[in-house]
Amino acid sequence: MSSKIIAGVEIGTSKAVVLIGEIVHGKTLNIVGMGMTSSGGVKKGEIIDFNAASDCTHKAIMEAEESAGASVEAVYLAQTGHHLETFFSDAEVTVKSSKNIVHRSDIRRLLAEAKRKQLPEDRAIIHHIQNGFYLDEELVESPEHLEGHKLEVRYWNIHGSIKRMSDSIHIINGFGLRVEDLIVSSLASGKMVTTKEERGNGVLVVDIGSGTTDYVLYKHGHVVYTGVLAVGGDHITNDLSIGLRTSSNLAELLKIKNGKASLQPKSQDDRVMLVGDLAIGDRSIARSGVCQIINARVDELFRLIGNDENLAPFFSSSQWGTVVLTGGTSKLKDIEKVAEKALGLPVMLGGNPSWVAEEIQGPEYSTALGLLHFGLSYNHVKEFKERKRGGALMEGVKKLFGI
Amino acid sequence: MENREILTPSTRIKVMGVGGAGNNAVDRIRLEMKVMDGLELCCVNTDMRTLADSPVGDQHLLGRNLTRGLGCGGDPHLGKEAALSDSESIARIVDGYELVFLISSLGGGTGAGASPIIAKIAKQSGCLVIAFVNMPFTFEGERRFKQASQSLEELREICDAVIPLPNDVLLQEEAAQESVLHAFSKADEWITRGVRSIWAMLSKPGLINLDFSSLREVFNARGGKTLFGVGSGCGPNFIRDALNDLMQCPLLHVPDFSKVADNLLVNIVGGTDLSMAQIEGVMAYITEQFGSKASTTLGAVIDEGKQQSIEICVIGTTDLGGLRPLRTKRSASSPWEKGRNRLARNSASGKPGTTVEGRKTDRLEPVNSVQQDLGIDGLEGTRGYFEETGRNEFGGQDLDVPTYLRRGIRIVLT
Repeated sequence: MSSKIIAGVEIGTSKAVVLIGEIVHGKTLNIVGMGMTSSGGVKKGEIIDFNAASDCTHKAIMEAEESAGASVEAVYLAQTGHHLETFFSDAEVTVKSSKNIVHRSDIRRLLAEAKRKQLPEDRAIIHHIQNGFYLDEELVESPEHLEGHKLEVRYWNIHGSIKRMSDSIHIINGFGLRVEDLIVSSLASGKMVTTKEERGNGVLVVDIGSGTTDYVLYKHGHVVYTGVLAVGGDHITNDLSIGLRTSSNLAELLKIKNGKASLQPKSQDDRVMLVGDLAIGDRSIARSGVCQIINARVDELFRLIGNDENLAPFFSSSQWGTVVLTGGTSKLKDIEKVAEKALGLPVMLGGNPSWVAEEIQGPEYSTALGLLHFGLSYNHVKEFKERKRGGALMEGVKKLFGI
Repeated sequence: MENREILTPSTRIKVMGVGGAGNNAVDRIRLEMKVMDGLELCCVNTDMRTLADSPVGDQHLLGRNLTRGLGCGGDPHLGKEAALSDSESIARIVDGYELVFLISSLGGGTGAGASPIIAKIAKQSGCLVIAFVNMPFTFEGERRFKQASQSLEELREICDAVIPLPNDVLLQEEAAQESVLHAFSKADEWITRGVRSIWAMLSKPGLINLDFSSLREVFNARGGKTLFGVGSGCGPNFIRDALNDLMQCPLLHVPDFSKVADNLLVNIVGGTDLSMAQIEGVMAYITEQFGSKASTTLGAVIDEGKQQSIEICVIGTTDLGGLRPLRTKRSASSPWEKGRNRLARNSASGKPGTTVEGRKTDRLEPVNSVQQDLGIDGLEGTRGYFEETGRNEFGGQDLDVPTYLRRGIRIVLT
């Protein structure tokens, strides 16, 4: 029996999450272990203190390996942060064969053409996401052996700063593990909280974490757009700590215990205690004020997404589209109501697939689960191709820029 | 009065209001402070009409040839040119003063343009320069916001301390019915409290030399952010009320401010019933809150007219990212020695009725070792949450600044 132990690692702003999965025969995934530590040294999704981030990530990996009773062979690592940038690229070729049947060489030429764009030296591509082939302007899944004149391909490309990405890779390497691939957080979580049908109809997944908000738009089953805003739950906490003049820790507790994204009428009677121990600094505050602060931030966040020009066609067309929220901050009360109002589309709270265990059902695990899912599909593809073509070709799905 | 001046030459303090908003603030100080030994007010502007409206006698028009006394029209370059063209007269204004308070609004042309030039001239003539600057509302637009941030950076490089007062934050302090204009008067009130507190500390007998030098010591690093807060309390629980008030001072909870200072100056103005034990208590609490790693300097002044009331003013500077001016003498003497000298001088000035206390509560570590320790670890979570990350600019706004502040939403918590 061939089995492989892989880990999905997310070095997040508030916590480092590690899930360990066992891939059996290249197609079945069993989640066998998990580890989580509250992280340090990460802000707005980017590592600002290498040692602190490294320590807590290593701790989480250790914890996960212990609970799995196995050692990890390869790591799939999530990426987010302000450094990620995206661009759209496309290419077109004329079908060469006299019978106008698309041959594999046409496809190869086309793909080379589509990926020719040069990036600055300090940037590297994380994902070339194929948005499907268009044969004579009609979307086809696989054009080989079909008849047509003009073959087109569209790609959504995500690239990031090599320095930022190698920081996180070094953390994993520091534990003696190999990073198999980097996956942008939104792609990982997006896949988990949506169904194939939803992705076919068109869906926007907004993953609101502590430090960043990652979003991904699916259309006809393909990723057509991704984005990152360096705004997340920490901003709500920070706003509260400034507005209520208290420490971040107390503000965070207040947010979790009494926070609500929607506004509520001003009332003298509905009050919350800041700390609850009546020491210096403790006082009662109107709940409506707390809601005002949170509402302003959440509303702005969704309006920033709503004003993203690239999403305009999605928001203007009425026939498709729901918005799915995930990530730890999506647990904030009434957040979907505020999102609905700001975006003008139906908004749902996403859930992980029902097959995952209860303790990792929460929206904060979507990304790590998605990483394992990616790991599974890569391994699946790999094994399949290896059998077919005798290996080599797909060795290392992507080069990790020589690190 | 005169005798005292002969014994201990008073610290000469100049309060300069630059531009329209600065002039208004100086007017307010004039109205509020009845006694002002050693404190002189003056107004500087490019707009003759605003100057003429001010009740402050000492007035100076800048850039007469450039603006013909009509103001800068919001153009900081014009403000800068005006100040440069009159640099000689500015030098005359600040000549002979030990301490200069510079008050201006960085949203306007004169304030943003002329203030850094005036600060530079004042520094060159050897003054300690403390600037209180008003920051425009975010919703006033991108251009003003940028101009103000740029001017603030310039001032931080030049001045010993820069205390920014963001209108966004001040608006929060108002009752719901009041207009935006009240935010300005609120700013003037904070400035007045700050100026008065420092002045009170310096103007009391027996303390003068000692405390002006400690003031200099607190401000021995430039370029960093400043910590500034005022709190007061009266009634049966005056200490507790004052500490609560201080902790809620909006200026301590602004992204532009540091939350921990390397050098902290605490000034307490209390009534005759203020005991040493109470002062110790206040100090212990404040040192814990603002965690001054290097040193905390305490000044306590007794105001005979007061009972059961206290006003606490906290000013601090951070060494990090700061440019250290050449002041080699001071760092040479050990903190222990300084503490001893101070105590000795204190006991000499034991005058009944005006008990005065000034000393340094040094930690055991020498200053230098503390600075080496200030790695990123030490900064974590202390200097404003998003401090060490890059600015999160999006459409001319910094997304790390709370949305409600940028949108001008008034939060009602009571």
